[in-house]
Amino acid sequence: MSQEKLLIDVGSTYFKVSTKNSIEQHFRDFNKSILDDLTHKCGQKLEGFDKQDIHICSSANGGLSTLIIGVTNSFSLKYATNIAFNSGINIIDTILFQNIEEYTIPSDLIDVVIITGGINSNKDNFSDELFHYLEKLSYSNVVFVGSELDVPTIKENIENVVVLPNIIDDRLHIVEDSLKNYLTNLYQQDIEGKEDIKDLYNITDNQIFSTPYVVNKTLPFIDSKYSVVNPFVLLDIGGATTDIHYSKDLVDENIVTENEYDRLVFKKLGVYKSKQSLIFAAKNNEFVYELLMHLKVTENIFEEQSDKATKILMQLAIFLVLCKISHYKKAYVNLKLLSVNSFVLTGGITKVLTAEEIENIISFFYKKILNSEHNPATVLDSNYDIWTLGAEGKETCQ
Amino acid sequence: MKVVTGVVGNDIHVVANRLIDLSLQARGFEVFNLGVNTYLEEFFDAVIETGADVLLISSLNGEAEGWGREVPLLKAKYKKLDDVIMMIGGNLVVGTGNAEDIVPRYEGYGFDIVCHQVDLNTGLDSLEAMIKERHLEVRNN
Ligand code: B12
Repeated sequence: MSQEKLLIDVGSTYFKVSTKNSIEQHFRDFNKSILDDLTHKCGQKLEGFDKQDIHICSSANGGLSTLIIGVTNSFSLKYATNIAFNSGINIIDTILFQNIEEYTIPSDLIDVVIITGGINSNKDNFSDELFHYLEKLSYSNVVFVGSELDVPTIKENIENVVVLPNIIDDRLHIVEDSLKNYLTNLYQQDIEGKEDIKDLYNITDNQIFSTPYVVNKTLPFIDSKYSVVNPFVLLDIGGATTDIHYSKDLVDENIVTENEYDRLVFKKLGVYKSKQSLIFAAKNNEFVYELLMHLKVTENIFEEQSDKATKILMQLAIFLVLCKISHYKKAYVNLKLLSVNSFVLTGGITKVLTAEEIENIISFFYKKILNSEHNPATVLDSNYDIWTLGAEGKETCQ
Repeated sequence: MKVVTGVVGNDIHVVANRLIDLSLQARGFEVFNLGVNTYLEEFFDAVIETGADVLLISSLNGEAEGWGREVPLLKAKYKKLDDVIMMIGGNLVVGTGNAEDIVPRYEGYGFDIVCHQVDLNTGLDSLEAMIKERHLEVRNN
């Protein structure tokens, strides 16, 4: 059997270090590099392990930005948006090509521009307006995943464009794989390229993966650790973002794909780094005051810095995420929440809230928003078993 | 020649849709069948993505009127639909109604061919006639 392993997860707010029998978690010191911080706080532990037995994943500053240009809302834009979301990419804007001249050009550097439109037998989906727009935009990568017949014109007019197979097939169905792999690899390269993360190769011989990737890989095996009843939703509420992973059965979209589980990232919903935008979202939700009343606090709690305030923020984060994926808010994806059998919670939240506090919010949500007595089971992954399982499993497939 | 077809709105009557698909194919059309339960925007979007020449909408359960009224507004938002032949057929009103009232009304909504309770083959014949006609127009220009 192999040696014991040390698993490290670097987040935007804290990192955790786990061995077979122990798990510890530390707030990050932003005056130090990750490596210095880690050796400072867990130096002794690190010394006990060989480089090949240390496995690291990171979600810190993770995330690329994309801008998507497509020719219709129901097909090209919808499919590309779906793929980008599932690859954990932050969508800055989606542009309907026929109106491209009406959009303002984002001033930030875009990591990757995705262009798509038309089935392979349809030609001339784009014209010069596209090239004019791109001239004004600043971006690092551009990928074309539209009609084959448009490839020559696209190549002629867009420098360094990467061309991948069309994401729309001849029956107007989605084809995910090549764009998804491309984006996942970009994301991976981005994480590895961060100076801070590069340093970490001083202590490990293994590839550093992105945390959401690791978690998503574990989902099919989740029942080896918990009695989770499918279909389920996994919420990972972190310092900067909230991730949800969910069984595909919960989506009533007509997008047919092969993956069993999908993932969504809510960039601006976190309880530390993006606390202000969480509060902003909360104040704009018409049910939040009722919820605060239900929790027996007032909105003054937003100004407070206390354990109690953190708890409330986390409860709000759960509520807001549920709203965002329900039919109450027409968002990118609506899940069939009445069919959910379990909610699995992982990440920092499990250290802060008890199962009862979480159930309290979930049942408030079902009653208020969905008018239902439905009561899914709540499972707390308080020992980071999901992440450990994924991180351990990772190197067995290498 | 490409045709996008389907049944509009919440309508789930599927039998006609299957027959239309087969008949169009038998006549040599390339068919993109969106099936039952298809919304107007999806029809128009499918025409854009496929570059179809014809949009053939069916409606059986009596919903057509409501959707018909939406057509001009939605279509005006698109910049590439002007040359598409738009056709609608099935049961275009609730109950029976007579074609003399119904046809001009739907033409007003922007349909080129309107087939209220018209036999499918007769309807498709008029489609082919219109295609021929339009091609002639193109050649004459
Ligand atoms: C079977 C059936 C059902 C089944 C459908 C099963 C299924 N998944 O397909 C069920 C029981 C589910 C059903 C439900 C309903 N139905 Co129903 N149904 C019928 C029925 C009996 C037969 C339809 C059929 O399949 N015909 C065979 C096909 C081949 O013929 P067709 O549909 O007429 O299509 C032909 C032509 O219309 C034409 N055509 C169709 N589209 C086009 C387009 C073009 C361009 C052209 C040229 C020609 C064309 O070509 C086709 C082939 O010849 C008809 C009555 C009837 N005898 O027609 C009612 C009928 C269509 N239903 C009707 C209604 C009202 C309903 C319900 C609202 C009932 C209710 N109150 O719940 C629901 C609606 C459900 C929904 N969301 O759509 C009404 C519609 C009345 C109206 N328009 O005013 C009808 C006419 C019955 C009636 N006389 O009242 N129905």
